[in-house]
Amino acid sequence: MEIAKDMDLYQKLEILSDAAKYDVACTSSGIDRKGSGKGMGNCTAAGICHSFSADGRCIALLKILFTNECVFDCKYCVNRSSNDVERAAFTPEEVCRLTIEFYRRNYIEGLFLSSGILKSPSYTMELLYQTLYKLRYEYHFEGYIHVKAIPGAPQELIEKTGFLADRMSVNLELPTAESLRRLAPHKTRKKILAPMRQVQLSRKEHKNELMLFKNAPQFVPAGQSTQMIIGATPENDYQILSVAESLYQKFELKRVFYSAFVQVNQDAELPALPGGPPLLREHRLYQADWLLRFYGFGAGELLSEKRPNFNVFLDPKCDWALSHLEQFPVEINRADYYTLLRVPGIGPKSAQRIVKARRMGSLDFTDLKRAGVVLKRAVYFITCNGRQMYPLKVEEDFILRNLMYSQSRTPAETVTYRQLSLFDDDRMFGEVPQQLLQAGV
Amino acid sequence: MMIFQCEDSVDGIFTGVYDAWDSRIGHEAVALRIREKMDLELFAKYREVETDTQKAAKVARSVRSKMGQDAYRVIYQAALSANPEKADSIYRVIVRGMSANVTQYEAQNVIWNLQSRDVCRVFELSRKVGNEAHRYFQFVRFRELDSGVLFSEIQAENQVLPLIGEHFSDRFPNENFMIYDNGHNDCLIHGKQRPWFILRDTCPDEAAKDQLAAREEEMQELWKGFCKSISVEARENRGLQRQFWPLKFRRWMTEG
Ligand code: SF4
Repeated sequence: MEIAKDMDLYQKLEILSDAAKYDVACTSSGIDRKGSGKGMGNCTAAGICHSFSADGRCIALLKILFTNECVFDCKYCVNRSSNDVERAAFTPEEVCRLTIEFYRRNYIEGLFLSSGILKSPSYTMELLYQTLYKLRYEYHFEGYIHVKAIPGAPQELIEKTGFLADRMSVNLELPTAESLRRLAPHKTRKKILAPMRQVQLSRKEHKNELMLFKNAPQFVPAGQSTQMIIGATPENDYQILSVAESLYQKFELKRVFYSAFVQVNQDAELPALPGGPPLLREHRLYQADWLLRFYGFGAGELLSEKRPNFNVFLDPKCDWALSHLEQFPVEINRADYYTLLRVPGIGPKSAQRIVKARRMGSLDFTDLKRAGVVLKRAVYFITCNGRQMYPLKVEEDFILRNLMYSQSRTPAETVTYRQLSLFDDDRMFGEVPQQLLQAGV
Repeated sequence: MMIFQCEDSVDGIFTGVYDAWDSRIGHEAVALRIREKMDLELFAKYREVETDTQKAAKVARSVRSKMGQDAYRVIYQAALSANPEKADSIYRVIVRGMSANVTQYEAQNVIWNLQSRDVCRVFELSRKVGNEAHRYFQFVRFRELDSGVLFSEIQAENQVLPLIGEHFSDRFPNENFMIYDNGHNDCLIHGKQRPWFILRDTCPDEAAKDQLAAREEEMQELWKGFCKSISVEARENRGLQRQFWPLKFRRWMTEG
């Protein structure tokens, strides 16, 4: 495979951003860092989206591959070695220049650098390391950097790179070892988990150091993330969510991303997806993931062996509430924070406001609206001073019918997980965006 | 009813709070209005508030120390809102917190008092202003002028410049930059290694702001190309894009 020598920067950027676009992680979140006053850049924990591409996804980082050249042949990937696509590679210098020039125009929050495997994992990792080194020490860049740890690269190299990055990620790719064997013959589950564990342990170790020495260098301060491809292999939602849960618990990941499989290669091993990528399924997984991380739910509460897939028509939170009607209605003026959080239509922000406002007197339904509660969904599940808003039946069929009716309307309120950096409360639940309904069901 | 007419600025409103309180007419018999944005009311008397930074600073200091930093932040942000009703609501919220019979503990919680209409309005206005400011963390676009200055033009609904100065100065300590809000005709100015400041009622030189640096256009092309190629065709969803990224912002943006 030949890399054209005389390619200009515009063409390279086109090829290498195009090749990176299936990686869905593009957040700049997880760390607050002020500038030192000497270089350029800072970081905001909530993350900042700078633009939105035609697919409605957020653009926060200059997301590129260092090269799309690859010696591996993963069946689901455009860049696999057996594909005949145009190949390109940046130089570390070019990546630095692009990052700096984009950053100072406020186009981006920083860099997301991934790569195909050029020659070998260690060779590739070394290139990523050099690029980051240059960016941090020659260009004095203090903005956000997310870099891939390449499985199979030497530990020391991953360690060194981790001190230059804010976030590192290793993609799990597929939910089970079996699927990985089938679709990514050069990868194994073990090889992927090794660097993930390494990053986890190094983070812990260096956190201790930080307590001892204030200026000790930080190792991957924004934590690590991973991504799984959804719908290329036969796992059900329960399996996928359980994998995510154990990644959060056992590997202390900050985020698990779910990427609806996009058919880029024709291959007998890959499913045909006439309806397009399974976007609704991806959406449900993000909702459930949110419930794991911020609402205190467990995977086993939302799904089970018997009911292994999410309800197409109802979000996982409403779905859970409907099958636990014995726990409702909840009295707004008395229930504790965690109980409030489980009410459809109440999110972390509104639950907090309710708890604070209650100290100054009891609340009625108007106050709840002011607190940001989505009453349309909450009414079935709450009382204020012992009274329901309307005389409603707390009965599964009745509520289901009404919730589904409301979920299929008022698209104005539709917000998906991607915009939730501001945590706009329970809005991510409820209605499904129209486009998802067409594509996914 | 005595109506205190203040200038549309944080200092103007805080001075109004000071004067209205100091007049001893009684909280029920006074009201605050923004001078440029008021309807004349029958049977009311009017008093002009002359903006006085010292009076304003006194109000700010007392609010901070009794009602707390969080409450101050909420009130301050609300004072930047485009909604003219802000002035009177801010007055009422401050009265609730600062009256002699209110304990410090109660004062610190006033801002959470959803049950009050004025508190809710201030909270809501503040949230809106804060959200808009965040939008400009996202959507400010600089272009490099041939003088090396990074220049950006925005059209904000509320007075967001005071809320974004810190962010951009911390981010670009070594750049000379200017953000011009043509909605209010205000300029945020930052010189290399200098503190930022705002010039009110000032617009930048029309000719200078279109003289681009030599490589500026190349950078803009690279960026626009990137925004196109990063999108996944199989997931195209213009509706979603529009929802997150409203036209009123796009209009002023490089890739818009
Ligand atoms: S290693 Fe596999 S997934 Fe990564 S670029 Fe190469 S072929 Fe694609």
